[in-house]
Amino acid sequence: MTDVVRTGIRPSRVAIYGVLLLAALVYLIPLFIMLVTSFKTPMDIRTGNLMALPTDWTIIGWTKAWSEACTGVDCGGIRGYFWNSFKMTVPAVLISTLLGAFNGYVLSKWKFKGSNLFFGMLLFGCFVPFQVVLLPMAATLGQLGLANTTTGLVLVHVIYGVAFTTLFFRNYYVAIPDALIKAARLDGAGFFTIFFRILLPMSTPIFMVSLIWQFTQIWNDFLFGVVFASGDSQPITVALNNLVNTSTGVKEYNVDMAAAMIAALPTLVVYIVAGKYFIRGLTAGSVKG
Amino acid sequence: MSQLELRSIRKTYSGVAEETLKGIDIDIASGEFIILVGPSGCGKSTLMNTIAGLETITDGSIVLDGKDISTMEPKDRDIAMVFQSYALYPTMSVRENIAFGLKIRGKPKEEIAQEVARVADLLQISHLLDKKPSRLSGGQQQRVAMGRALARRPRIYLFDEPLSNLDAKLRVEMRTEIKKLHQRLKTTIVYVTHDQIEAMTLADRIAVLKDGELQQLGTPKEVYNTPANLFVAGFMGSPAMSFVPVTVEQGEHGLQAEVRGNDGGTIKLPVPDYLADRVGREVILGIRPEHITQPQDQKDDQDLVTKGQFTIEVTEPTGPDVIALIQLNDTNVHCRIDPEHPVTWGETAELMFDMKKVVFFDPETEKRIAA
Amino acid sequence: MEHIQRQPDRVARSRSRLLDGLQRWLPKLVVAPTFVLVGVGIYAFMIWTGVLSFTSSSFLPVYEFIGFDQYAKLMANDRWLTASVNLGIFGGLFILSCLVISVLLAIFLDQKIRQEGAIRTIYLYPMALSMIVTGTVWKWVLNPSLGLEKLMHDWGWASFSFDWLVSSDMAIYTIVMAAVWQASGFVMALFLAGLRGVDSSIIRAARVDGASLPLIYGKIILPSLRPVFFSALMVLAHIAIKSFDLVMAMTAGGPGYSTDLPAVFMYTHTFTRGQMGLGSASAMLMLGAILALLVPYLYSELREKRHD
Ligand SMILES: Nc1ncnc2c1ncn2[C@@H]1O[C@H](COP(=O)(O)OP(=O)(O)OP(=O)(O)O)[C@@H](O)[C@H]1O
Ligand SMILES: [Mg+2]
Repeated sequence: MTDVVRTGIRPSRVAIYGVLLLAALVYLIPLFIMLVTSFKTPMDIRTGNLMALPTDWTIIGWTKAWSEACTGVDCGGIRGYFWNSFKMTVPAVLISTLLGAFNGYVLSKWKFKGSNLFFGMLLFGCFVPFQVVLLPMAATLGQLGLANTTTGLVLVHVIYGVAFTTLFFRNYYVAIPDALIKAARLDGAGFFTIFFRILLPMSTPIFMVSLIWQFTQIWNDFLFGVVFASGDSQPITVALNNLVNTSTGVKEYNVDMAAAMIAALPTLVVYIVAGKYFIRGLTAGSVKG
Repeated sequence: MSQLELRSIRKTYSGVAEETLKGIDIDIASGEFIILVGPSGCGKSTLMNTIAGLETITDGSIVLDGKDISTMEPKDRDIAMVFQSYALYPTMSVRENIAFGLKIRGKPKEEIAQEVARVADLLQISHLLDKKPSRLSGGQQQRVAMGRALARRPRIYLFDEPLSNLDAKLRVEMRTEIKKLHQRLKTTIVYVTHDQIEAMTLADRIAVLKDGELQQLGTPKEVYNTPANLFVAGFMGSPAMSFVPVTVEQGEHGLQAEVRGNDGGTIKLPVPDYLADRVGREVILGIRPEHITQPQDQKDDQDLVTKGQFTIEVTEPTGPDVIALIQLNDTNVHCRIDPEHPVTWGETAELMFDMKKVVFFDPETEKRIAA
Repeated sequence: MEHIQRQPDRVARSRSRLLDGLQRWLPKLVVAPTFVLVGVGIYAFMIWTGVLSFTSSSFLPVYEFIGFDQYAKLMANDRWLTASVNLGIFGGLFILSCLVISVLLAIFLDQKIRQEGAIRTIYLYPMALSMIVTGTVWKWVLNPSLGLEKLMHDWGWASFSFDWLVSSDMAIYTIVMAAVWQASGFVMALFLAGLRGVDSSIIRAARVDGASLPLIYGKIILPSLRPVFFSALMVLAHIAIKSFDLVMAMTAGGPGYSTDLPAVFMYTHTFTRGQMGLGSASAMLMLGAILALLVPYLYSELREKRHD
């Protein structure tokens, strides 16, 4: 595909670069606005405009968002919810990735009667709109005493994430030759030995994809957070939404933007550090789900 | 060394309607080198996998040194296998690859080190021990794959097309090497190949499979000279044996069969006496290229030899010979001609038919008519 | 698949057989937890919601069956109608804009662009953000008094007015904007990957035949990206039907219920208005919509596989 266009500066080249750069600006401007607004004073926001740089830079928006802002009735900032999100995300990501790795291993290398059916079942699970499970899940979590707990959210995210992680690993392991497994079995290795000694050492890329995909999905989730958590156990997205959409008092847009930045930072950092895997996950996740 | 009996092995894959192995019976003597050949999809790999225990069998039994191992797990059978793709563990070094099976079996460290050294020495890969498989050439990977099998000193070795990923020159080298190894270690080997020459040179006996059925089991010479049926005859040998439908007649000097060239001229080929009860009936003449040559004076007086004029349709020089194509009774027939003896396509040439080694098949049953 | 047991010393080996048996069950044991979790968490719950949609449940689940009443009520419900129409508008515009923008950007980006990696990174980062963050930012950007409008006034366009966010007719379009901003870069990445997979010798051959670049793209390259279009369509439709976060963050369904989408409707009725039966019925209809898309998609996927 790359040899379509020849070298040399032509008007069409200029136009292409123009369009691409313009698009880049469009994608970047909201981030820019979010950042500069978060460093402005409320006064500055009222007198200046979106694109203007702060007249005097201040981190008051950030500190306020972190520890003082009101999310609904409670006014302790989003600090606690930020940690909630971590406490929910880390175990959910690890568990769902681990389960996915084992499932993928079985579904590609240890097929049994009905394993394809099981795989189809998981595949379909990727498409189901979560609205059809919300109510029974809420009732079940209540029964289990897990309503409004981080543990409950972890469980929910594991259940609805494992289909994706299984897909990732299964598709990755399918491409690894079966002969490798056969050779290991003849060498005397069993189910777990083969997994840990042969497959695991070659799984780093797919682990990255799965971890990053799950991390962004779970960190960014709002629906489960708002339905299954309340008060102290809420994740950051719910807290951010409460903070922004609280109608009491004067709106402090610098605080809103700082809070939004705080909520966005972990996934943005992951994206910047490991964007390659992020994109691979998105593409893989989308092609099949 | 170990002796292996395959007793009417049957295998049906779940979800597949047709049986893949339809009752295979082979007795393999200790130290014997058995080669499995057959067209793609005939079940060679399946048979190997069932012997190794990687696939279960549906019926029959596999007996190793007098003991039924049909239901044993692969790890308990003490069988090693070399795969076409080598299947080296990509994250382990050559040393670790070779040692893996021993480590799993809990062998002491010194013993493992000794064994790895022995095998590396045997295969001349000592200098590669610390490399990862991906850094090795195809031939070196092949050696490592064999090393991994040798290290465990298993009772049986299975080779599934071990050389087919190598280039032609290396393949010949490795072939010789495998032969040497076998002669030295006297191991029992079951070996799958698509390569005719590999089969002929390596095998003690060749087993020809088709559609999951054993067609013939015999020494390379037997399989080549007295193929059991049309399939085996056509499968073994390159260029392949030609099949010409002929009718057996009673001639003045004995039995004969008339063949017609592409220019309409006919000659009578002498045929052996054992076809006496087929006079007046059609049989299929199986004739190999080397049975039709340029005239050779020293053979002139022999029995079952005759000469005739035929138009050469195509010539294919191969180096040691020229393969020429003629037509007999409207079928293409290959002849093997000395390059010193000039023949040109489009012209007629005198050819000599040596009918001593030709074979005949029954057109109905496709089986060879016994001498 | 019965094996004929011919082994005389079976008893002695029974222990190792037990281990072998366990080994044989291991794969199934390993996937069992997932099987249970997904079986209950998706399939049983789906059925449960289906059952609830036929009951008169309000604040609590009750199992008094009233047939299709909830569905009938739903169809007669103004708010559901608005939500469905909104989904049509939102889904249609969102998918179309995303496809057009991302195909164009992908083609442009496929022209040996310097700094392609950096540009791609910029296009794609919104996908790493939570919809709530996106909504928060866009809500601020489109703020009727302090946002875009003020910016334009400051820059000298005094008559500029932009109050879509608070207009019940136009608010849904602001959500389309934010959604397109978030997802188009990602779809672009899909197409770019597709373009990179096109066999370059086909293009060279077409050029030798004298075809112009636009013609090559229109007649050869884009048609060969049909599978990518399909999966992009699938993903986008899926995002649209499930869209909830963005609406909650930007308008919470308002003004009034002018920006309600089915997902918002379902949430509000089930969890804040105590109309579980109605909410369940709406969830089932959402599932139906996805199935209507999914079944033909999977069918065509499977058929293609069989052709390989
Ligand atoms: N795991 C399996 N499940 C179902 N069918 C299989 C499986 N493995 C092989 N088969 C089928 O069994 C038949 C025999 O396959 P096998 O691999 O044994 O052939 P082969 O003789 O080794 O061929 P080749 O020369 O191409 O290696 C084929 O029709 C194949 O499609
Ligand atoms: Mg094979």
